[in-house]
Amino acid sequence: MTPSRMDRLDFVSSIVLTMFGAAVLIESLRLPRLDHLNVNPYTVPGIVPALLGIILCACGVAMLIRSILRGGWRLNLTSNSVRDFAKAAAVRRTALVLVLTLGYALGLFGWLPFWLATMLFVFVFIVATEGMALGRLPRLPNIAIALAIAAVTGAGVAFVFERLFFVRLPG
Amino acid sequence: MAGLESFLSAIAGFVTSFAIVDVLWATLLGIVVGMLPGLTATLGVALMTTLTFQMEADRAILILICMYVGAIYGGSRSAILLNIPGTPANAATSLDGYPLARSGQAGRAMAIATTGSFVGGLIGMLALAVVAPALAEFALSFGAFEFFWLAVFGVLIAGQLTALDDPLKGWIAGFLGLFVAMIGQEGIHAVPRFAYGSTDLAGGIGLLPAMVGAFGFAEILTVMRNQSYEVVRGKVGSIWSGIRQAARYRFTAIRSGLIGTFMGLVPGVGEDMGAWASYAAARQSSREKDKFGKGSVEGLMAAETGNNAAVPGALIPVLTLAVPGSAPAAVLLAAMIIHGIRPGPLIMIEFPDFVFSVVAMVFLATCAMLVIGLLMTKPLLLVLRVTRERLMPVIFVLCTVGAFAIASRTFDVWVMLVFGVLGFILRELKYPMAPLILGIVLGDILDKSLRRGLVLTDGDLTPFFSRPISIVLFGSALLFILVSMPSSRRLFARLLGKRAAQNGSEDMS
Repeated sequence: MTPSRMDRLDFVSSIVLTMFGAAVLIESLRLPRLDHLNVNPYTVPGIVPALLGIILCACGVAMLIRSILRGGWRLNLTSNSVRDFAKAAAVRRTALVLVLTLGYALGLFGWLPFWLATMLFVFVFIVATEGMALGRLPRLPNIAIALAIAAVTGAGVAFVFERLFFVRLPG
Repeated sequence: MAGLESFLSAIAGFVTSFAIVDVLWATLLGIVVGMLPGLTATLGVALMTTLTFQMEADRAILILICMYVGAIYGGSRSAILLNIPGTPANAATSLDGYPLARSGQAGRAMAIATTGSFVGGLIGMLALAVVAPALAEFALSFGAFEFFWLAVFGVLIAGQLTALDDPLKGWIAGFLGLFVAMIGQEGIHAVPRFAYGSTDLAGGIGLLPAMVGAFGFAEILTVMRNQSYEVVRGKVGSIWSGIRQAARYRFTAIRSGLIGTFMGLVPGVGEDMGAWASYAAARQSSREKDKFGKGSVEGLMAAETGNNAAVPGALIPVLTLAVPGSAPAAVLLAAMIIHGIRPGPLIMIEFPDFVFSVVAMVFLATCAMLVIGLLMTKPLLLVLRVTRERLMPVIFVLCTVGAFAIASRTFDVWVMLVFGVLGFILRELKYPMAPLILGIVLGDILDKSLRRGLVLTDGDLTPFFSRPISIVLFGSALLFILVSMPSSRRLFARLLGKRAAQNGSEDMS
């Protein structure tokens, strides 16, 4: 039986889940028992997380066994399959969006004035994703529209949050 | 009678104030949010919560309910015109709505969806008014044991029903959510768990940033990953003939309304299952089964009635048990707590008018949805012309600022990002999001109830399995697990087969 893509993904994710469940269990057992405070042993903080660790571990093992029975352990990872995955348009689009969004939220947000960071992000996002879809730089009217959306978003969101809701935005 | 009085005075209060303006703009915005693929009702309500947390409680909750009702309905537009459900609750709508639109009957399909949503909303609203006070009174008899099983039952049933093909993944998502709720100071001894010296982590993971991430950022990544969409071109057709046709299926509408309300009431299950269960029931009992999936008016009516009926249905456990019936209802629960309302069994004692005030809010939102849906059919089509490349960065900015604005903490932005990336990966691996969120909400109840229960009985587990309500909840949870396991299903089938064969041989003799 040829394993499906999901069987292979389940094989990998079940290993991660089992390890995560085990880590939760170990960390729960390391939580303070508060013996020195003479607290009721049934109220110690680690009880419920430890139970959840056991359950997550058990679910991970159940899924691991299922994926092995379905042949999911045959990952068929070759240099060609990795290259094809990296070249897929959907993967490239997702990677671009991840870089842009994380760059904005972790870098620009808080480092530049909010309105400027937002304008830059929105403009670059629109031009880059439209450009990727077209395979070339968007035409001038589209770039002008991107600039207008960026300006309205930057100024509008800053005005609403800072002036109307009195939220002090970072940057 | 006291309930009717409270309802009418709430309606009068809203109609004679500027609240009616709020109803109109918030419902319209909800419809727009629902229409746009990638923007779900959960995201709309979560973002709106960050924009309304400084308003008075009544006004803020009114706006959030209008957003919720509008978004669940608005999703039908993109399901009909794009074959892409605007929200997951409209997936069943596209099965018959899109074929109708492709045959030049988009206007009729939209009118049927509007009428169905209106009827569903009204049926759900009536159930909310009748069931909520009774359930709140019943819930007064709940103790630690019952709340423990309610939390377990909620996570298991939500996991099972939101991942019908693979319940194991639904349960894993629910247990992961319960674990997330364990992060931070626990509620009995104030010991920080899994905080590793971070004061931010010791404060716990906020539900709203987590939801904005799991339903906002994750959705942006999913939408941008997929191919772009195209709107159905051509004639929209008359909408009025659709209303006349919808009246022919009034029994389907009533049945779907009741099913949708019930599915809304079940913890964490919500509108998606409300629509699917109503659709399946309509198909089962229809005389025109072969039309389903090819442009059946009855199927479209059932799906849209079912999902909008689930909205008030999902509010019933929110108000009476503090357990959300759906993901957007979980945000509403968080919003109510932010505004100083304590949902739960004591609601009819502490806030006696609030339940009927919520009924009035649902009524106004449903009426506004009908009016806007019918009068603005063509102008609303313009919304679908906005491309994802232009819309998604604006949504991401709102996700970032919204997560930050709740407590002015950069940590919440990080939570939003982590849950967004995690949510995206989990979705790609076919794990449902609703049980994860329900788990985050129920984690605290589960933790405290189990430990309190154990203290009360000095470690004796018997009351967890012997009190009447506990037995019912435990039995239902166990049954759900057994039913979903292929080996036990085979065993049941074999036993039933044997019995049928025995009966058959007895009849023969």
